[in-house]
Amino acid sequence: MEYYSYVNIFETKGLAYILLICFLVLGILLIKYLSAPEKKDSSAAERKPRT
Amino acid sequence: MNNAAVFTGELRSFLKFFLQELKPRGKWLTPFNVISIPTIILGLIILYFRFTEGLGSVTNLSQQFPFGFWIGFDVMTGVALAGGAYVICFVVYVMRLEKYHCIVKVTVLNGLLAYVFYSGALVLDLGRPWHIINPIIGNSFGYNSVLFLVSWHFLLYMIVLFVEFSPTIAEWAHWEKLRKFLTGLTLGAVIIGITLSILHQSGVGAMFLMAKPKIHPLWYSEYIPLLYFVSSIFAGLSMIIFEGSISHKVFSNLIGEKTHHSHDEIVLGLAKAAAITMFVYYFFLAFIFMHGDKWKFINTPWGYWYLVEVIGFVLIPCFMFAYAVRNRRLGVIRVAAAMAIFGVVLNRQNICLIAFNWYAENRYYPSWQEIVVTLMVVFVEIWVFRWIVTRMSVFSKE
Amino acid sequence: MDRRQFFLTTATVCAGGVPANTTRAEEVKEPKEFSAVLVDTTRCIGCRSCEVACSVTHGNYVPDIKNDGALEKVRDTSEKQWTVVNRFETEKGEVFVKKQCLHCWQPACAAACLVNAMLKTKEGPVTWDGDKCMGCRFCMVSCPFDMPKFEYSGWNPKIQKCNMCYDRLLEGKKPACVESCPTDALMFGQKRELMEVARHRVYSHPDKYVHHIYGEQEAGGTGWLYLSAVPFEKIGFRTDLGTTPYPEYTREFLISVPLIEFGVPAFLLALNMLTDRKDEVQENHGWKDE
Repeated sequence: MEYYSYVNIFETKGLAYILLICFLVLGILLIKYLSAPEKKDSSAAERKPRT
Repeated sequence: MNNAAVFTGELRSFLKFFLQELKPRGKWLTPFNVISIPTIILGLIILYFRFTEGLGSVTNLSQQFPFGFWIGFDVMTGVALAGGAYVICFVVYVMRLEKYHCIVKVTVLNGLLAYVFYSGALVLDLGRPWHIINPIIGNSFGYNSVLFLVSWHFLLYMIVLFVEFSPTIAEWAHWEKLRKFLTGLTLGAVIIGITLSILHQSGVGAMFLMAKPKIHPLWYSEYIPLLYFVSSIFAGLSMIIFEGSISHKVFSNLIGEKTHHSHDEIVLGLAKAAAITMFVYYFFLAFIFMHGDKWKFINTPWGYWYLVEVIGFVLIPCFMFAYAVRNRRLGVIRVAAAMAIFGVVLNRQNICLIAFNWYAENRYYPSWQEIVVTLMVVFVEIWVFRWIVTRMSVFSKE
Repeated sequence: MDRRQFFLTTATVCAGGVPANTTRAEEVKEPKEFSAVLVDTTRCIGCRSCEVACSVTHGNYVPDIKNDGALEKVRDTSEKQWTVVNRFETEKGEVFVKKQCLHCWQPACAAACLVNAMLKTKEGPVTWDGDKCMGCRFCMVSCPFDMPKFEYSGWNPKIQKCNMCYDRLLEGKKPACVESCPTDALMFGQKRELMEVARHRVYSHPDKYVHHIYGEQEAGGTGWLYLSAVPFEKIGFRTDLGTTPYPEYTREFLISVPLIEFGVPAFLLALNMLTDRKDEVQENHGWKDE
């Protein structure tokens, strides 16, 4: 009977923490990418009037 | 007695002013009017049949698909896309970022009209709409219902948005004292409004919690409320970007020089926030996917459709936003905003219509009448929006 | 017993004028448990007299059971008929299954209803009140058995579904379908008694029945119970509904509402005070310069 077999409901928990760490790293990269360095910003601003 | 005479005098002069303002301005035979007027007339004819012959006469609703396009598009999607109002209010009034102040009024107006019209469209879908006051007046409070919560929060939030927008109306009608009083209410209204928004945005998702056996497992999870809330943030931000770029073309004569220039910076800021929110949303989706052990569904047609939504209209627009912010490409931001909006529309349609009763043999497709009525609602909203922005100082004149 | 009497007396004295039966929860006992019906599909001969009895009692469409050949295909209940009998070809021959609202113990439709039009009565039936219903059809979305049916034609639509002959129950009668059944396939009673009857039948004929009583646990338990000779998924039942009562799925969300409604405004107000830059020291440009 399916009622009497053990089901570990936290089986995916370990994988969840790995996923969390991966996404935290990716998130830091994304935020670093978004807050672009000043140099890049000014050169882009120079480029803008031309386009 | 003297007071009364003054009051009636005031009222009369205001009515005169109001009638004056009702008249159209400029030429009325524009391409938009040429399309919208026949649509609205056709929509009204359809609604006549809907209210005399019943819902079945104009819609494709069935016993298996009780929620159709009017709920799935107008209400579910309209509410998500109107999320920009509470996000911007949070940024400007709670976080006090003055940079975004010049878009507050127009965003709040958009939110107010979206709520009035899209949750107003709910009335069209109700079978017995004359009982709509029942959950409000208290003769039968169904506290146990998610919909009870949602309907109350819609109502309260509409009032709150009206209070937030009311100083502009008072300014237009030259009621200086009232305007000052109403401006004082803004912070309180904003704080209540954000709270109500968090709850009803997630509440709209919570409506599907009990439909567990009917929604495809790739879309169903107990976290639907959280997903609806997070997606309403970037849906709202994308909508502000999208609407803003249209408004700045269409109503460019109403917008001041300084605001025109600062608009690029505002769009970049919003896009940055949207990129981060979408990234968080994508993480939530991945986490729920993994936690629910949904790998077995991926290699099916439903799985591919799910990937179209999640990769094509969440992850890709997220990266487009990030790329565009870094390289200051405003065109890319607009495309990304349109894609993100489409992604949210797709998500709501999937949960409400497409992956709902996914095993059903007779699928639901909206009838042409349902689409016309939806277009009618959108057009009427744009009409009212246009009427207001051309008369009240909604856009910043600076 | 003495102790109980003592409490009762004390309570009555303390409560003064308040009637004794409302002073303590223990004393408030429902006169009856929820009513229930046991359907033994091995006994059903597919005569469809229940369909006729139901429709006659409630003034719905009365099917022509002799000539309409409706058993040829599997039907669903509709806004015109609250109950239907379906025929299934199985390895144990023809099986007839009556279908109607199962009257869940914790109905999703009643939890979904924002005006309490769908109501779980204390007698057991789930009923619908047309004076309250606003026709939002959220009950239809929520019901795991797809039982509420909506009248899409007509300006004044109703939600139609079996109400277990609520009016007849109040008069002390059995539901019309149970009374009309010629083979005792339907049995009316209280769920506890009917569970005993059902288990007894399964235990005494272990080869005749599958060892499962549909409705004992499904969706948190239903008022209608089914016995079958073949697995239930083969005779049109959903066996993937789980044993959780459906209102439980919205419970956490609904309970967290007041928490958010109190916590978030306070948090926002605090944040607003925190970001007040009026009295900020101008020379200091922030933590980045330190």
